[in-house]
Amino acid sequence: MTVTSTATRYRRFAAIGIAGALLTGGATACSSGGSSGGSPQPAGSGGVSPVQKVLDNAPVASAADMPAGSVAAQIKARGTLDVGGTDTSPLFSFKDPTTGTYSGFDALLGEMLAKYITGKPAVQHTQVTVATRETLLENHTVDVVIATYTITPKRAKLVSFAGPYFDDGQAILVRKNQTGIDKPQDLDGKTVVTETDSTAAADIKKFAPTAKVLLLDTNDECLQALEQRRADAYVLDQSIVGGDALQNPGKVKVVGSTFTVEPYGIGVPKDEPAFKAFVDNWLRKIYADGEWTALWKATIGAAIGGTPPTPPTIGSVSGS
Amino acid sequence: MLARAAGSSLAAHTGDFLHGILVTLEISSVGFLLALIAGTLLAIFRVSPLLPLRGFGTAYVEVFRNTPLLVLLLLMFFGLPEVGVTFGLLSSAILGLGFYEAAFVCEAVRSGINTVPPGQVEAARAIGLRHWQVLLEVVLPQALRAVVQPLGNLAIAAVLNSSLAAAIGNTDITGTANHVFADVVEPIPIYVGAGLTYLALSLVIGQLTGVLERRLVIVR
Repeated sequence: MTVTSTATRYRRFAAIGIAGALLTGGATACSSGGSSGGSPQPAGSGGVSPVQKVLDNAPVASAADMPAGSVAAQIKARGTLDVGGTDTSPLFSFKDPTTGTYSGFDALLGEMLAKYITGKPAVQHTQVTVATRETLLENHTVDVVIATYTITPKRAKLVSFAGPYFDDGQAILVRKNQTGIDKPQDLDGKTVVTETDSTAAADIKKFAPTAKVLLLDTNDECLQALEQRRADAYVLDQSIVGGDALQNPGKVKVVGSTFTVEPYGIGVPKDEPAFKAFVDNWLRKIYADGEWTALWKATIGAAIGGTPPTPPTIGSVSGS
Repeated sequence: MLARAAGSSLAAHTGDFLHGILVTLEISSVGFLLALIAGTLLAIFRVSPLLPLRGFGTAYVEVFRNTPLLVLLLLMFFGLPEVGVTFGLLSSAILGLGFYEAAFVCEAVRSGINTVPPGQVEAARAIGLRHWQVLLEVVLPQALRAVVQPLGNLAIAAVLNSSLAAAIGNTDITGTANHVFADVVEPIPIYVGAGLTYLALSLVIGQLTGVLERRLVIVR
């Protein structure tokens, strides 16, 4: 069998997989890349993986931090932290389809917060989409949402944001052989795909007013649409399209640099201001003791290399 | 096309919503027309004396009736390009909806055909009509008039099912709601508004079906 036919056959399965994933609410793990390249967890020299080391060193809150009756105390009594997240973002939160374990920056951050509250990294995952995050917090289905969740003033009217805990930005992903698209202004008149209800949907129009925006529900579908030439470019947070480029190096590439600032926050229900302050304090703690940097190195840094950035300042963004 | 984000209020998006309604009407009406034609043809296959045609009709109905429309649409949109056939956003939605509803139209029309008494077919044959003449001039006119109400239900289903076209990027009512939601984070008015629009469209079709049925009904 030739390489081409194998690839074609695989991609046909990918399309079916996407259909299946949608049916099951996106819960089936199906990455377009199919490889585990985006979820790096290399074993450390001592046999303990860097990820495990991060978890082992993660702080635990003192009883004084969690007065009786507080949200944190209730979570501790329950024993697990309910986290709303995603499972198809290679760098941030990726569920291994065979083992069911999560990897990535957001996924680990959730486990660290769970450990801080309950003493062990016990997380109950709930799949969220861009359209359901606010609602799941408002009706208290989840305790927190950690899902590459950009802090915006509009969203901040509905939920509270602890953080920011990470600064990302929109980047442009194009097919490998594409020329003439290097900056957002080049998207004018082009068809640009992005996720339904992502901040990118509005940003594209700001930079390229005549761009035609195509909205699809998941990262996999957006990537597929780009590869099938239904769109000229795919605009979303660099952490996400960068992960796509990492998994499909022969097909797509990221062009230019990020052209917006996307501060990620931890979504907390609006009616729990004390819990938001509690999470903010925890973030300050892991920023100060280097745990945040260790987390970055073990997840994003292991995949894309480079020096760890400085963590953003808590409360520095309108809405946080 | 979407209006600029300027204003960022719901009122700024009135034009988008009107456009969305047009797209919904386009997908559902063309899709339903396709379903009517294909479905009637399939019904004829299913009552045909030729085994291969009957087999094809039965297989078609069982496959398309028992596959979720969303899966069909995603296969049309993402699957077909892998084998070299690429349809646009709108055509993918229309074809997917049309082929899906054709299975249901087929069964409705077939039940209509069964209401035509066998004696009529025998009489038509006896006066020398050919098979297709019996079908087109005796059976089908009566069969279709007997199933106006079920077909009306399917027309309503076509409008409501067309909302899945948003999943493959169409800016129909649902797709527009998604676009506007990205700009104005007010889910309740946006999606309730979209729901009410579908309700209004369905009510109109229901009324039209009633009028049609009263005009076309055969009093036996």
